[in-house]
Amino acid sequence: MEKGNPVTTEAGTQTRKTEPPAAQGLSAEKVTLSYGSSPVVSDVSLDLPHGGLTVIVGPNGCGKSTLLKSFARVLKPERGHITLDGTDIRTLRGKEFARRVALLPQSPLAPEGITVRGLVGRGRHPHHTLLRQWSPDDDRAITLALDRAGMTELAEAQAGALSGGQRQRAWIAMVLAQDTGLILLDEPTTFLDIAHQYDLLELCAELNREGRTIVAVLHDLNQAARFASHLVVMDEGRIVAEGPPHQVLTAELVSEVFHLASDIVPDPRTGTPMVIPHERRPHERGAAVG
Amino acid sequence: MTPDRMTPDQSSAADVKPTAPKGYLRLGHHVVLPVERSTVIASLFAAATLLLAAAATLTLGRLGIALGDLPSTVLGDAQGKDAFVFDRLRGPRLVTGIATGAAFGLSGALFQSVTRNPLASPDVIGLSGGAGAGAAAFALLLPGVPVWSGALLGALLAMCLVYVSTGTGFRDPGRLVVAGIGVAALATALTQYVVYVVERDKATVLTAYLNGSLAARSWTDAGTIWLVLLVAGPLAALVSRRLTIAEMGDEISAALGSDPGRTRTAAVLLSVALAAGAVSVAGPIAFIALTAPQIARRITRGAGPRQLLSALLGALLLVLADLASQQLTLFDDLPAGIYTMAVGGIYLGYLLTREWRKGTL
Repeated sequence: MEKGNPVTTEAGTQTRKTEPPAAQGLSAEKVTLSYGSSPVVSDVSLDLPHGGLTVIVGPNGCGKSTLLKSFARVLKPERGHITLDGTDIRTLRGKEFARRVALLPQSPLAPEGITVRGLVGRGRHPHHTLLRQWSPDDDRAITLALDRAGMTELAEAQAGALSGGQRQRAWIAMVLAQDTGLILLDEPTTFLDIAHQYDLLELCAELNREGRTIVAVLHDLNQAARFASHLVVMDEGRIVAEGPPHQVLTAELVSEVFHLASDIVPDPRTGTPMVIPHERRPHERGAAVG
Repeated sequence: MTPDRMTPDQSSAADVKPTAPKGYLRLGHHVVLPVERSTVIASLFAAATLLLAAAATLTLGRLGIALGDLPSTVLGDAQGKDAFVFDRLRGPRLVTGIATGAAFGLSGALFQSVTRNPLASPDVIGLSGGAGAGAAAFALLLPGVPVWSGALLGALLAMCLVYVSTGTGFRDPGRLVVAGIGVAALATALTQYVVYVVERDKATVLTAYLNGSLAARSWTDAGTIWLVLLVAGPLAALVSRRLTIAEMGDEISAALGSDPGRTRTAAVLLSVALAAGAVSVAGPIAFIALTAPQIARRITRGAGPRQLLSALLGALLLVLADLASQQLTLFDDLPAGIYTMAVGGIYLGYLLTREWRKGTL
């Protein structure tokens, strides 16, 4: 499937070609999000490009994960609303939404005693009903998801006995088994060593080329710039910049948002912008915290 | 379309009629439910053992019904001693015991799944203690009112206290256990106070109740707890699937289209109703709610709350404890709750040590 072709989701919904691009995929309109009283994300509007690989970056506590959760319908906006193909996601039924958008959160919990296959199978939940907890596509979706995540050989292993990297791949497989056109990933590379980080990012790029819309929160700016088609930079609950990485990622931006002096050079393999931090003298350290 | 898209392939879907694979129970076209083979085998085994224990309860001892007369007695054809033993002495006690044990087991299975904590059970977090205190308080203050209503009120009150005092509802297992221990202590204090101030003969009756006993139960008690079980059981089955999804954390659960908050609330309410019902007919029998789902988890593979098996094992444990209480003449009619407490205490210690060694506590 070529990039940009309409994505057929399990529900059989075709993205409408006649509508303007803004109405396709997920959009936030003036969204304010908070835990308790203080807002974490204030008045943010963002269209996640349909068919794109969007990466959201920003310093710790900038609200990037919080924003991602609101796109996944996990967190309810205090003000504003989120739309999927033009429909407010709060008006969609939970399972209907879950057949179109999947989320891999930062710290999911593997139930005691579950096998990898069992875990991945739970990704099929949105395709089931109360009395029909099985659908004809289950086996195929699960087998394929295990294969894509490189977990086929570990399918019968206990999820609790996996290494950090294997466990993360098992969760990725669960999300893939959900078989959605849109996949949201919250810091998916966190528990992985560097080779597995790139494996995972390449997998995301591959899924994106096949027509899925991918949105990931990442910490590593160089990885973000290398894989993103659309880069969103957040700071203090707002969006500071968005666009193609080579336009967005500048030394000024890195200095302003991350309080880090740096040079931006082209990645020798891909030509994407790469951040080379300057040496930091003792009095400069920790400035990013303030 | 590339072959590795996961959406249904129209051509193959048309000529191959899909059938549910192994591991599913299929009833017609619209009902397909996952069933673990090991769980089915364990459940059948538990049910068979329960039947044996039930037969032993009716046949053993001085007043026992002869094994050959058992079928006709159960069918209501017996006269004289056998009829008396079945209708008045052991029959109601056994039937109450089966449903009470099942209610405790199911209650514990729901609770452990909700809290993701193998040590959380209605016993440990003060539900049974609250029920006991409520029953005791009613016995003292409102002697005319049935004890079960006090137990129910006490259980609900204790759960409200736990819910409020954790600050995060039933979300955080650690806080839940700490708050539950506090509430259980409060409840014990209240219960002991009542035992202390009421007259001696009443206190003896109350103590027997507070230990949990099946002695002298009537068909009314049996009817009450079976009613609770038959209402709450199917509802628990309905919430089961969502509960297995909620076990993976609130975010995944919400992202899979389930509402974790509502699922949890429903499961806790069912668990409370079952435990309160069980406590009100048999007293706060210790540890069945904790151990039955734990044993269920250990004798089967896979994940999930295993509600039916937990209920069967709960019934089996209580019937066995009551059998011991009736037949071990060495200890002369000790309440069944004391047997379950002794065995359960050892088991809890074992579990705690194991969790501690694994570093998960």
